[in-house]
Amino acid sequence: MELYVVLKVVWAVLLGVLLSGLAVMVGMDMGVGTLLRFVGKNDAERRVVLNIIGPHWDGNQVWFILGGGAIFAAFPTLYATSFSVFYVVMILLLFSMIMRPVAFEYRSKVDTKKWRGTWDWAFLISGALPMIVYGAAFGNVMQGVGFHYGWDGQYYQDESFIFYLLNPFALLCGVMSLALSIQQGGTMLMLRGEQPIYGRARKAAIIGGVVGVVLFIIGGFWVAHINGYAFTGPVDPGAPATPLSGQTVAPVVGAWLHNYAAYPILWVLPGLGVAGMLGAAVMNLAAKPVLAWWLGAIGWIGAIFTTGASMFPFLMPSTTNPSQSLTVWNAAGSQYNLSWMLFFALVFTPIIICYTSWCFYVMRGKVKVEHVADDEHSY
Amino acid sequence: MPLIDPSVVDLSRLQFALTALYHFIFVPLTLGMTFLLAAMETVYVITGKQIYKDMTQFWGKLFGINFAIGVATGLTMEFEFGTNWSMYSHFVGDVFGTPLAIEGLMAFFMESTFIGLMFFGWDRLSKPGHLAVTYLTALGSNLSALWILIANGFMQNPRGASFNPDTMRMEFNSFLKLVFSEDAQAKFVHTSIAGFVTGALFVMGISAFYILRRQHREFAARSFRMAALFGVISSLAVVTLGDALGRLDYLVQPTKIAAIEGLWQDSDAGGSAAAAPWLLFALPDQAAQTNLVEFGIPYVLDPLVAHSFSTNIPGLISLEKQAGPRIKKGIAALNALQAYGKDHGAAALATFKANESDMGYGFLAQRYAPNQDLSKITPANQDAVVAQAEKDTIPNVFVTFWSFRIMMILGFYFVGLFAFAAFFSLKNRLERNPLLLKLCVWSIPLPVLACEFGWITAEAGRQPWSVYRWLPTFQAASSHSVGYMVFSLIGFALLYSVFIAAELYLMFKFARLGPQPHQAAAPEAAPAPMFAAPAE
Amino acid sequence: MGKYFTFVGLGLVLALALLLAVVAGDYGPWYFAWMVGTVMIVLIAGCGAVLFDAQHEKGEGEI
Repeated sequence: MELYVVLKVVWAVLLGVLLSGLAVMVGMDMGVGTLLRFVGKNDAERRVVLNIIGPHWDGNQVWFILGGGAIFAAFPTLYATSFSVFYVVMILLLFSMIMRPVAFEYRSKVDTKKWRGTWDWAFLISGALPMIVYGAAFGNVMQGVGFHYGWDGQYYQDESFIFYLLNPFALLCGVMSLALSIQQGGTMLMLRGEQPIYGRARKAAIIGGVVGVVLFIIGGFWVAHINGYAFTGPVDPGAPATPLSGQTVAPVVGAWLHNYAAYPILWVLPGLGVAGMLGAAVMNLAAKPVLAWWLGAIGWIGAIFTTGASMFPFLMPSTTNPSQSLTVWNAAGSQYNLSWMLFFALVFTPIIICYTSWCFYVMRGKVKVEHVADDEHSY
Repeated sequence: MPLIDPSVVDLSRLQFALTALYHFIFVPLTLGMTFLLAAMETVYVITGKQIYKDMTQFWGKLFGINFAIGVATGLTMEFEFGTNWSMYSHFVGDVFGTPLAIEGLMAFFMESTFIGLMFFGWDRLSKPGHLAVTYLTALGSNLSALWILIANGFMQNPRGASFNPDTMRMEFNSFLKLVFSEDAQAKFVHTSIAGFVTGALFVMGISAFYILRRQHREFAARSFRMAALFGVISSLAVVTLGDALGRLDYLVQPTKIAAIEGLWQDSDAGGSAAAAPWLLFALPDQAAQTNLVEFGIPYVLDPLVAHSFSTNIPGLISLEKQAGPRIKKGIAALNALQAYGKDHGAAALATFKANESDMGYGFLAQRYAPNQDLSKITPANQDAVVAQAEKDTIPNVFVTFWSFRIMMILGFYFVGLFAFAAFFSLKNRLERNPLLLKLCVWSIPLPVLACEFGWITAEAGRQPWSVYRWLPTFQAASSHSVGYMVFSLIGFALLYSVFIAAELYLMFKFARLGPQPHQAAAPEAAPAPMFAAPAE
Repeated sequence: MGKYFTFVGLGLVLALALLLAVVAGDYGPWYFAWMVGTVMIVLIAGCGAVLFDAQHEKGEGEI
C-alpha cells in the first residue's frame, strides 16, 4: 500500500484516539462539574469535589484543544466544514467551555453564598452542555449534514441549524455521552473522595453507566434503520485530498453496518463498549473505583471506535451532495504534513503520558475537608 | 458564484478582532509572570529565605487569576478559525493547522499539567522539584506563544508551502522554512519579551503601591528590585526586536511599512530618499491618498526603516499602481484554475502555472467582476475592474499609522521608566521618589495597551490579506447568515464583560489585601540552602 | 548513587542545551537570542534580589 494511504489511515485511527482521550479525560471533569451541585450538599463538600480534579482539570482540558488542533492539521477540510456548519452548537459549546477555567479559579476566592452559588451553576452548565453537544455531534455526523462546496473549496450550508439541534438520534447520542461522563466523573470522586461524597458519587456513577449502556444498545439497533452512505463507484484512497471531485456516493439505509458485515471481527468494538460500561457499573456497585475507572475508559473507547468503524472511511457525509461527502481519503492533509505530524505525535505522546502520570502520582491520595480549608491554594 | 455578504465578513472580522484582543489582554502577563515567578523561586531555592517563597506564592496567586481567563479565551481562538474562517482553514489548514497542533502537543500540555503542580504541589515536591515545575510552566507558556507566532508568521510571509491546483489549497512542503521563517522568529521574540515587560511592570507597579503605603515593606522592596531589573533588559530587547520587525516588514510587506509610516509618495519623491522625514504626527486621508496634516523629522525615515541613507521606500500610491498588472495576471490564474477544476486539462494547468504567483490578486478582483464572476471579465471591462481592485490592495493607513505610533511611544516610555526604577532601586532611594512610584502604579495597564496596539499594527497592516498575497480576508470567511453572527457576538460580549468584571474585582481585592501575614509568620524549619553545605 | 544520577542528568541537559544552541544559532539567530536573553534576564533579576539582601544585611535601612 502506498505511504500516503497508510498515513491517512494512521491519522484516522489517531483521530479516534484523540476523541477517546478527550471523552475519557475531559468527560471525567465534565461529569464532576455536572455532579458538583448534587454530590456536594454544602460549601465544604463542594470545595472537596472541586479540589479532587483541581490539579488536573487544566491538563485534561488540553485534550479538547489538542483535538481541535489535530483535526485542523490532519483533516483541514473536515475542521473547516464541520465547525462552520455546526456554527450554532459550536458557539454554544464554546460559551459553556470558556466558563469552566474561570469558574475553577474564581469560585472559592470570594466567600459569599451568592458568588459561589452562581459559579456552581456555571459548573453544571459547562459540565453537562459540552458533553451533550459532543455526543450529539457524533449522532449528527452519522446521519449526514446538508452542505456542498463551490469550485474554490468554499462550503455552502444547505440546511437550517434547527435540524441538527433537535435531531432525535443525535439527542440520544448526546444523553449517552452525558451519562458516560457522569459515570467517569462519579468514579473519580469515589477514587479521591470520602463519605458522604463517596456514596452519592457511587450512586450517580452506577446510574450513569446503566443509562449509557442501554442507550448505546438502542443506538446500535437504530443505526440499522437510518441512512448510511456508500461509494457507488471506484475510489482511489491515495488520490490528492479534495472533496471537489473523484468519488460518487449515495445514501443507503443500513450502510453503517456494511463494514461489520464485511469484517465480523469488528463486532469486538461494540462488545468492548458494552462490557466496559456495564463492567464499570458492576465494579462501582462492588465499590472498586480503580477498576471501574479503567473499565469506564474502555467503554468510551469501545463506543467511539464502534462509530468510527461503522462509518470508515466516511468522516462527515453530505445529505445534499453526497458525492462531496468528507472521507478519510479526501479530507486529509498532504503526505508531507501528515508525516511531520506523525513524527511529533510519536515523540511527544509518550512524554505527555509520562508527565501526566507523574502529576497524578504526586497528587495521589484522598482529598479531605480539612485539607481544603487549610490550604490557601485550593479552589 | 456570489461572494459572502460583506456585512457577514465585517462581523466575522469584528468578532475575531474582539476575541483576539481580549485574549491578548491576559496572555502577555502569563508569558512574563511565569519567568518572573521562576526567578523569584530560584532565589528562594538558592538562598533558602522564606520571603522569596512568599513572593512566589503571592504573585503566583495574582497570576492564577489572570491565567484562568487566558486559558478560557484561548479556547475560543483555537476554534474560531473553523467556525468563522472556513475557507481560510481549508485553504491553509494543511500548513497553518500544523503549528497549532504541535503547540497543543509540545507546549500547552506541558504548561497546563505543570501549572496544576505549581499551585498544588508546594507540600508534595522537593524544593528543586517544585522549581523545575515552575520553569517548565514558564517554558511551556512561551513555547505555546512560539508555535502560535510561527502560524502567524505564515500569514505575514507565507513560507514553507505551495499551492496545489489538484486540491485547491496551500500544501506544506518545508518544515524548516516554516519554523525558521524570519518573521516568525522576530515576532516570537518581540511578543514574548513584550510579555516580560508586561509582567515586570505589573509586579513593579503593585510593589510601588505597597511601598507608597508603607505596607509589606520587605516584601515589596525585593519584588520591586527584581521586577525593575527584569523589566529594564526586557524593555530594551522589545525595542530592538521592534526595529528588526520593522525592517522585515520593509523587505517582505511593503504595503504595511508604507502604511505604518503614512508614506503616500515614494520617499525619494522630494528629491533625496535620505532627507525624507519620519512622521511624528499625521492625519492620513485614505480617499484623497494624502496626509491632511503632517509633521516629521527629516533624515530619520530611511535609516530607521531601511537601515540606509540612499534607499527609496516605495509609497502607497506607487504600490497601488504596481498591483495593477498582478491583478490582471491573477484574473487569468483563477480563470485557468476554475477551468482546470472542471476538466483537469493540461492547457488550463499551464496557464495557471504561468500566473500562479498572483492568484491571490485575482481573488481581490472577484468582488468587482460582473456578477462577481471572473470569467465574465473581458478586455473591454477589465481596466475598470482592475482600477477598483487596486484601491483594495493597501491597508487602512490611519489605523496602522496610529496604532504603531502609540505602541512605539509606549515602548520607549517603558525603557525610561524601568531605567529610573532600576537605578533608584539599586541605590535604595525608592522611598524618596514617591512621584516615580506613583508613575509605576499608574503605568500598570500601559504594557497591555502597547501589546494590543502592536497586534493591531501587525494585523491591520496586513490587510486586505489574511494570508499575505495569497488569500484576501473577505474571501476567507465562512458563509454564515447575519443572524448567526449577531447571536455569537452578543454572547461573547456578554460573557467576556462578566469575566473582565470578575477578574478586575478579584485582582483589586487581592492586590489591595497584599501578602497574607500568616504566610510570613510561618517560618519553615531550618531553611537549608541548596548549594551550601557539603553535608550528607 | 543519587549524586551520580544528578550529574548524569545535568550533563544530559548541558549536552541538549549545546545542541540546541548550535542548531538555533545557525538557523534561528533570534530564537537563539531569546534563549540566551531569557536566561540572562532571569539571572540578573535574581542577582538583584541577592544584592538587595547584601545591601540590607545590617538591619532595615532605606529601600
